[in-house]
Amino acid sequence: MSGNKQAKNKSGDKDDNGQNSEDLYPLALLMDELKHDDIANRVEAMKKLDTIALALGPQRTRDELVPFLTEVAQDDEDEVFAVLAEQLGKFVPFIGGAKFATLLLPALEILASTEETLVRDKAVESLNNIAQELSEEQLFHDFIPLIEHLATAEWFSSKVSSCGLFKSVLARVKDDKFRKELLALYLQLVQDDTPMVRRAAGKNLPVLIDLLTQNPDLSTSEDWDYISSMFQKIVSDTQDSVKFLAVDILVSILKFFNTKHDTTHSKDLLRSAIQLITDEAWRVRYMAADRFDDLASQFKSNPEYIEELSGPFLALCEDNESDVRKGVAKQLPGFSKLLGDPQVVLKKVLPAVQNLSMDESEIVRASLASEITNLAPLIPKQDAIDSLIPILLNMLKDEYPDVRLNIIAKLKVVNEVVGIDLLSESLLPAITELAKDVNWRVRMAIIDYIPLLAEQLGVQFFDQQLGDLCLSWLWDTVYSIRSAAVVNLKNLTKIFGSEWSSSKIISRLLKSDSQLLENFVYRITLLSALTELVPVVSTEVTTEKILPFINHLAEDSVPNIRFNVAKSYAVVVESLAEEKGKYKDLINKSIISSLEKLCQDSDIDVRYFASQSLEKCQNLLA
Amino acid sequence: MEIDSDVPMQDATEETLDPTLDEDALSKAQEGPGSSGIADHKASKPLQLDSGNIGQLDQWIEHLGKCQVLSEDDVSRLCKMAVDVLQFEENVQPVNVPVTICGDVHGQFHDLIELFKIGGPCPDTNYLFMGDYVDRGYYSVETVSYLVAMKVRYPKRITILRGNHESRQITQVYGFYDECLRKYGSANVWKMFTDLFDYFPITALVDNKVFCLHGGLSPMIETIDQVRELNRIQEVPHEGPMCDLLWSDPDDRGGWGISPRGAGFTFGQDISEQFNHTNDLSLIARAHQLVMEGYAWSHQQSVVTIFSAPNYCYRCGNQAAIMEMDENHNRQFLQYDPSMRPGEPTVSRKTPDYFL
Repeated sequence: MSGNKQAKNKSGDKDDNGQNSEDLYPLALLMDELKHDDIANRVEAMKKLDTIALALGPQRTRDELVPFLTEVAQDDEDEVFAVLAEQLGKFVPFIGGAKFATLLLPALEILASTEETLVRDKAVESLNNIAQELSEEQLFHDFIPLIEHLATAEWFSSKVSSCGLFKSVLARVKDDKFRKELLALYLQLVQDDTPMVRRAAGKNLPVLIDLLTQNPDLSTSEDWDYISSMFQKIVSDTQDSVKFLAVDILVSILKFFNTKHDTTHSKDLLRSAIQLITDEAWRVRYMAADRFDDLASQFKSNPEYIEELSGPFLALCEDNESDVRKGVAKQLPGFSKLLGDPQVVLKKVLPAVQNLSMDESEIVRASLASEITNLAPLIPKQDAIDSLIPILLNMLKDEYPDVRLNIIAKLKVVNEVVGIDLLSESLLPAITELAKDVNWRVRMAIIDYIPLLAEQLGVQFFDQQLGDLCLSWLWDTVYSIRSAAVVNLKNLTKIFGSEWSSSKIISRLLKSDSQLLENFVYRITLLSALTELVPVVSTEVTTEKILPFINHLAEDSVPNIRFNVAKSYAVVVESLAEEKGKYKDLINKSIISSLEKLCQDSDIDVRYFASQSLEKCQNLLA
Repeated sequence: MEIDSDVPMQDATEETLDPTLDEDALSKAQEGPGSSGIADHKASKPLQLDSGNIGQLDQWIEHLGKCQVLSEDDVSRLCKMAVDVLQFEENVQPVNVPVTICGDVHGQFHDLIELFKIGGPCPDTNYLFMGDYVDRGYYSVETVSYLVAMKVRYPKRITILRGNHESRQITQVYGFYDECLRKYGSANVWKMFTDLFDYFPITALVDNKVFCLHGGLSPMIETIDQVRELNRIQEVPHEGPMCDLLWSDPDDRGGWGISPRGAGFTFGQDISEQFNHTNDLSLIARAHQLVMEGYAWSHQQSVVTIFSAPNYCYRCGNQAAIMEMDENHNRQFLQYDPSMRPGEPTVSRKTPDYFL
C-alpha cells in the first residue's frame, strides 16, 4: 500500500497549504477510505468515485484525482481494481470532456495488464468506451500506440487485452498501409506462443471481420491475405480450445464475401467448413454442430454445396459425443429448410430425427424436442401425420420431463400444419396422460397450454374432452397446480363466456363432493376459484350463485377460510359497484353486515382482513 | 462415540455437539448472550401490530421473498419485535389444526420458496416449522429473516420451534456465523438472531394429539407438563432435558441409548409408545435427521421424521416432504424436489461454450 500512502501525503500537503479545505474534504475522505485496512471499505470508496470527481470539478479531477488513481492502479487488490477499471470507463465527462480523455489511458493500460481476468475485461471494456469519444488524432497519437504497446508486451495478460481493443480502431483507419500494419500485428497475436493469447485473438477475430463487412469498401486484397493467414493458423492450431474458434471466424468470412456477392472463394471455404465439421476433436465438431444452421445458410445460394453439406450433417447426428448430438439436434429444422426439397427431408433427415428421438442421452432428446416441431411445415401434411406425429407421440412419453415439456411448448406449429382435429385425435390421449404426470411442473405446463387448446378446439369438443380434466386439477395435492387451475378457469371463462362458465363450471363446482370439502384445503380452493371468476362473469351469476356460497363460508370453523371470505367480499363489491343502485340493498344487507361481523371475529387475522375489506367496500360505494 | 453403527436414518453428514472453535469465534461468543441488545426493552404484553408496523413488515416480507437481506438496522427492529412475540409463547406452544408441519430448512432459501409453492402461501396455509433454519445452505440469513418476519406478521398462522442449530455454538461452525460476517461485515446480525433464538418455543402440541419438536424425547421428561416447567430462555445446554428435546433420535433398539452425536439420547419404540400413552398422544413429529424420501415412520407409526431440505447440502440427492394435517386430523405427506434455480448449470458436462 506504499503508493497509496504517498498519494495520501501529497494530498495532505496540499491540504495544509490551505486552498479550500472544505473542497478538499471529499478527496481526503476518499483517500482515507482507500487506505482503509478493510478491502470492503476500499471497494465502497471506489464505487463513489464519480461523486468525488463531481465535487472536485474537471480541473482538479485531471490534476489530482487521475494521477492519484493511476498510482492506485499499481498497488491494491483485484476487487478494488475491478471497480476502478469500470469507473474509469465512465470518467470522460468528469475530466472535462473528450479532449482530455487520453489522460485516462495510462491507468487503464496498467489495469489491462493485470493478471486477474475480471479486471482486464473491465479495463478493456472501458478502453473501448473511451475510444468511441476520441478524435482521429488522439486515436493515432495515443490509442493505437497503447494497443501496440500491449500487443508487444512480454507477459501474456497484456497481449490478451490488446486483442479486445482492435475493434475500436480497425474501421477508423482509412490509410491502407496503416491498417495493414495493424493486421500484421494481429497476425502476430494469432501466432503467439501462449494459447491464451491465440484464444483471445481467435475470439475477437469475427468482430473484426464483421467490421469489414459493415464497411465493404474499406478492405484491400492485402488485408484479406492477412485474414486468410489468420484463419489458416487458427484452423491448424494444435489446441482444440483455439481451433474451435475457427467456426465463428469462418461464418464471418463467408458473410463478408456473400455481402460482396463474391463467390470466387466459395469452394475453398466449403472445404474448410467440411474440414471443421469432420474434425477429429469433438469440441470443434460441437462448435460446428452448434452453429450449423448459421454456417450452412452462408452457402444457400448454391444448392450443390448444401447437398454436399448434408453428408457431414448426418454424420454429426450420429456422432459419438453426446454434446455434439445435442448441438446438432437443434439444427434439424433449420438445415431441412435449406435442403428445401420435402422428399430429401423425408428420406434423409427424418431417419436421423427418429434416431435422435431415441438417443441414450436425455440432454440430446431434450434438445431435439425443443425444435423438432418446426419440421412439420417443411414436409407434406400426410407425411407429417404418418412420420412425424408418431415420433412426437413417442417423445411425449419420454421418461425425462424436459423432453415432454419442450414438445408441448411448441405444439402450436404442428397444429397449424395438421389441423386441430388430427392433432387432438392423436395428441389428446398423450396430453391427458401428461396431465397426471408425477412431476408437478409437467402438469403445470399442460395447464398453461389449455387455454390455447380450448380456443382451437371450440367449446363442444372442449366440454367433451377436457372439461373434467380442468376441474380435476382443482383437487391436486400441490398448491401451485390448484392455483394454476383456478387461473385456468378464469381464462376459459374469458374464452367461452359467462353463461358457459355458469352452467359448465360454477354449477358443477357448487355440487362438489361434500366429503372432499371436509378438508379445508379444498374449501379454500373452491372459494378462490369462485372469487377468481367474479370479474369475468355477469353480475347475475355473481349474486345468484357465487355470493351465496361465499356467505355460507363466512362462519367456517377455520379462520383461514373466514379471512379469505373477507377478501372475497371486496372482490364481489368491486364487481357489483358499477351497478350499485341495483345492488345497494344486497351489498348492505348481505355483504357489509357479514364483514362487520367478521370485524368482531375471535381471530386477529380475520379481524384485520375484514376491516381492510370493509374499508375498501366503503370506498367503492362512496 | 462410535458405538452406534446402526443409525436408522442417514446422517452421514451429521454434526456433533463439541466442534472445535477457532479463537476468533470464541472471543466473539464470549461477549456473551444478550450483547446484541435486542431484548433490553422487553414489553410486558405481546406485541400489538398497528397499521404502521404492518406496513413495515409487509414491505420486509416482500423484500425478503426476493432473497434480499434486510439492513442491519431493520434486522435489529425485526428481532426486537420478535422478542415481544416469542417471549409470550409457551415451552409447549398449542397449535390448532389445520396445519402443515415442516422439518429442517438449513438456509436453502429457494427450496423454502418451493415448499410454499407446494403447501400454499402463508397466511392462507398455517405452518409449523420444527427448527434448523440456519447453517449448511447458502441463504441462512434470508431464510431465518423471512420466517421470523412471517412469525411477527402472522403469529397465529405460523409457529417456529427451535432446532439444535438455533444456537450460538453450532452456528459458529456450520455456516450461519460466517454468512452473517460475509453479508453484513460484522457479527452483529448473528448476535441478534442467536439472542432471539433463546426465545423460540422448543415444542408444540397440535390439537393435544401430535407432539412436535426438533429432536426427540428425554429420559428426564415423562409428561408434557414437565416440558412446560423448563426455563427455555437460554443457550441450548450441553445436557439435560432441553438439550435432549433438540438433539435426540429414535432408534430401532429399545430403551435409552447413548447418541453418536454426543448430545441427546437415542430412544426405542417402548419409550415412544409409553410417552404417547402417558400423554394421550397419537404421534410424535420431529425433524433433525436426513431421510431420503423426505419423511419416514419409526416405531410403528408412533414417531414420524420430516425433513424439508431437498438435495440437502446441495448434494445428498434426497427428496423433501411436509405433512399436512386437516381439521379432521387426516394426514397427507407432500414430497418435493429441489427448486429450479436459474443460472445453475444444466449441461451434462462442460461444453466448449464454457470450456474456456
